Amino acid sequence: MNELAFAGTDGIIILSVFAIVMLLIGYLSGRGEKNIHESLSGYYLAGRNLGFIALFFTLYATQYSGNTIVGYAPTAYRTGFSWLQSISFMTIIIAIYLLFAPRLYVIAKKRNFVTPTDWIQHRFKSKAVTLLSIFLMLWGLGNYLLEQLVAIGQAVSGMTGGTIPYQIAVIVFVIVMLAYEWMGGMKAVAFTDVMQGIILMIGIVVFLIGGLYLAGGSFGDVTRYIAEMEPAKTAVPALDVNINWFSMLLLVGLGASIYPHAVQRIYSAQSEKTLKKSFSRMAWMPPITTGLVFLVGIIGIMLFPGLDKTGSEQLVGLMANEIAAINPFYYWVMIIFFGGIVAAIISTADSVLLSFSSMLSNDVYGKFINPGATEHKKVMVGKVGGIIAIVLLLWIAWNPPGTLYEIFVLKFELLVQVFPAFVLGLYWKRLSGKAVFWGMLAGALLAGLLTITGYKTIFGIHGGVIGLALNFLICVGGSLLAPAVSKNKVLEEDLTALNLKA
Amino acid sequence: MKNGQVKEPIHKKWIWIVLALITLGIVPWYFPAAATEPYILGFPLWAFISTIFSIILCGYLSWLCVNEWNIVEDQEEADKAKGDKG
Repeated sequence: MNELAFAGTDGIIILSVFAIVMLLIGYLSGRGEKNIHESLSGYYLAGRNLGFIALFFTLYATQYSGNTIVGYAPTAYRTGFSWLQSISFMTIIIAIYLLFAPRLYVIAKKRNFVTPTDWIQHRFKSKAVTLLSIFLMLWGLGNYLLEQLVAIGQAVSGMTGGTIPYQIAVIVFVIVMLAYEWMGGMKAVAFTDVMQGIILMIGIVVFLIGGLYLAGGSFGDVTRYIAEMEPAKTAVPALDVNINWFSMLLLVGLGASIYPHAVQRIYSAQSEKTLKKSFSRMAWMPPITTGLVFLVGIIGIMLFPGLDKTGSEQLVGLMANEIAAINPFYYWVMIIFFGGIVAAIISTADSVLLSFSSMLSNDVYGKFINPGATEHKKVMVGKVGGIIAIVLLLWIAWNPPGTLYEIFVLKFELLVQVFPAFVLGLYWKRLSGKAVFWGMLAGALLAGLLTITGYKTIFGIHGGVIGLALNFLICVGGSLLAPAVSKNKVLEEDLTALNLKA
Repeated sequence: MKNGQVKEPIHKKWIWIVLALITLGIVPWYFPAAATEPYILGFPLWAFISTIFSIILCGYLSWLCVNEWNIVEDQEEADKAKGDKG
């Protein structure tokens, strides 16, 4: 496959500029704020004081990674118009937020939660449930991070035409990311997200315009071409595709909304008003993000017909090469756009890493190893633990195990199993810790087994969704048979009266 | 406080019924195989209708966030106003 030789030195210049700006933002957001390194909520939640702009962009840049572009355009290329589902499954996430975010925000603020686990522990007071959910969330987050690390390397070496080798690219950007995160915590992550999100948005629009220009300027011609050459890609989807579409809505909606870093953004909001406003704007982002990427993939069918699976994975690079050749304006925008993809991957990776660290700090260390430690010490443990985790993940990324590689692919499938505990627990007083534990365990095992044994979907339904159904069943059934009897006044109050006064 | 009414989306059944209906409109399970034509703005008929429903979903959710969710906002904004004065 063609290397992306269109941007050697120029690509390096742009990437360096991006790296320096990120470091600067990190430095500025950490400067003069002692509190950041002395308190868990200061470091991990930006002091629960994120305003609208920062909150919106950090939600955006975290939810949409570079993978959204580099991976979704080829999927649209291969599947055709049924990939329109990427708009709806990214939108449905907001609907799922509406199920639990309003109440969780209030309780989290009142009880000073730092991690999602804080809520699980507060609600069930069960070591088994807490440990199992920490395990599932850390595993899911770890694999998610691994995927981002692999993606950074591919994007950078692609963009610089191999001038910067894969491994050096990853190391340089990981160090940049660790540095600004170390200096400014969540505040640095959110402010760099503003920059990263804006570049990504502009990049996608220009990319689409360039692609359309190459295809002759009319989207109608593109579809007519596809209808003639590959009618399957414009045909009404078959039954199994539709079932899969419904299943995707469930899996992504439920999974992405309770990603630990997503939940922590609810905790970080300055006020309910800011949070509402941010979600309200986020609801409009899928059409102008995954929607535009979808169009890019469709146009690709006409521009580069007949690519096989591996070939189509290079689609964005191939198109960028052609677009850059139009004229110097497009050339520079394409370089910035590729830098934007790298930035978008980093903006997702940094959030995931921060969330991972916070769970090491607050949950593993703070709840089980040394509960009496000062917050400063806990923050330190999380920072150092995060770096160790990154080193381990890099090692895995570069020495992928020959067998059982699938255990590093499990993300949503495992994470989503925390959903019943998280959301049913908010509203249903009878939900018992025991039922939740067995439901979560059975759901995770079933989902994991299905995925590892190659049954990623059954009749179009994802293994994660099947596991979740079992999980729900056990949670509800078990709690009906042996309901929780709670004499916990504090919890009782949280589940009935909603106000901020502790 | 201008508006003492607490609004929590989970308590309103109609929100979730409408959501389910829109979702049923988005997934193109209800089209006959011939629904590819006519092409509208370059989209096959079924894809066009599905996209319209997707966009309705965006608008609906965006509207819900602002208008059907109000738990502690009044309290927070009142506290903030007090804090600003003091």
